[in-house]
Amino acid sequence: MDCQCLDVAKDCIKVLQKQFPESKRVGRLEGILLEAKGLWAEAEKAYSSLLEDNPLDPVLHKRRVAIAKAQGNFPTAIEWLNKYLETFMADHDAWRELAEIYVSLQMYKQAAFCYEELILSQPTVPLYHLAYADVLYTLGGVDNILLAKKYYASTIDLTGGKNTKALFGICLCSSAIAQLTKGRNKEDKESPELQSLAAAALEKDYKQRAPAKLLLLTSALKSLKTS
Amino acid sequence: MGELKYELSQNAYIKLVLQARKHKTAAVNGVLLGRVSPQNDAVVEIADSVPLFHSHLGLLPNLEISLIMIEEHYSAQGLGIVGYFHANERFDDLELDSIAKNIGNHICRYFPQCAVLLLDNKKLEALPKGKDRSPVMQLYIRDASKNWKLVGSDGGCQLLTKEPAANAVLSDYISSEKWQDVVDFDDHLDDISKDWLNPDLFK
Repeated sequence: MDCQCLDVAKDCIKVLQKQFPESKRVGRLEGILLEAKGLWAEAEKAYSSLLEDNPLDPVLHKRRVAIAKAQGNFPTAIEWLNKYLETFMADHDAWRELAEIYVSLQMYKQAAFCYEELILSQPTVPLYHLAYADVLYTLGGVDNILLAKKYYASTIDLTGGKNTKALFGICLCSSAIAQLTKGRNKEDKESPELQSLAAAALEKDYKQRAPAKLLLLTSALKSLKTS
Repeated sequence: MGELKYELSQNAYIKLVLQARKHKTAAVNGVLLGRVSPQNDAVVEIADSVPLFHSHLGLLPNLEISLIMIEEHYSAQGLGIVGYFHANERFDDLELDSIAKNIGNHICRYFPQCAVLLLDNKKLEALPKGKDRSPVMQLYIRDASKNWKLVGSDGGCQLLTKEPAANAVLSDYISSEKWQDVVDFDDHLDDISKDWLNPDLFK
């Protein structure tokens, strides 16, 4: 089905059906074939009837979300995904999917919530720290950006300093905080060391692996420092 | 907005479509680099493009970094950011989403004649079969009330490729799976040895 050979898929499913007449896995494949053909209503019906017999089958629930998403029906996809997560709250892929849908709709607060759940359950996965930091930065405001900086720092920690996006993130945060707090009396001035360290790490990396872009990088970092 | 002609260079055009083709199941975006034609200020020459991201298009940090570096690089050639390219995740989705509009609005602050191009997948699919020379993209311009409007073929503004055979070259590249070689800014941030300028793509 992934190769769009729907006739071949149909034949395969027929054979499977003969061998395993009551199998719910074959039932799911039939549903997926209907999806591949774009027959959304029929696919939905197929999954709903399968769900009556197997109400706790996570794959069936997720296929229904997939149908909503494929039709561009994001409110329904979000609603079903949220309901699914009430029961299956340990499903990390589902949390990630929900976060990505929220980001694509620019619903950043909700996306942040998803990443918070992911970080709580899997605190050593740098991907979630990085994504959370990105969302916080996008939300904006001094508090969010300060928090974003912390999560970029934790990403760098978890990745041994090798994550380019996190290093850039530190520089962006420092620059944004400096701009936002200009003229304010800050008792605890933001230490510039973190930004310098991140900048130095980036320059070292670019010198080694992308020397053609080093000048660009240096000037970009300079403009972040002075802005 | 007067009757503007947007002249898209073959390389700029192909790079963006190849990027979209490489990430078929994701939304992708890119920026257009160019200038108002020194000979005719009713023509915007889009000389080049940089494919940007294929994930998390709605997040700011990577976008900000990319725009800083891209502007820096191209200003040395007398070119600026003149537009934005977007390809939706779903095949038949021809709606300009809020992310595209927001980025378009941002570019308009620096270049009021900013063009937003949206990939038309149906046209792209029909490419090898037809002899259509028009780009497989829809052109959106911001009107006086700051709304993004689709420019129809009867409208005043126009989008065309500088080289008339661009679609033929594009079809060629797609069938030879050239899209595997395209590098976007996302790829660069994951591995900085990958060059978002794609210097060897068309060699």
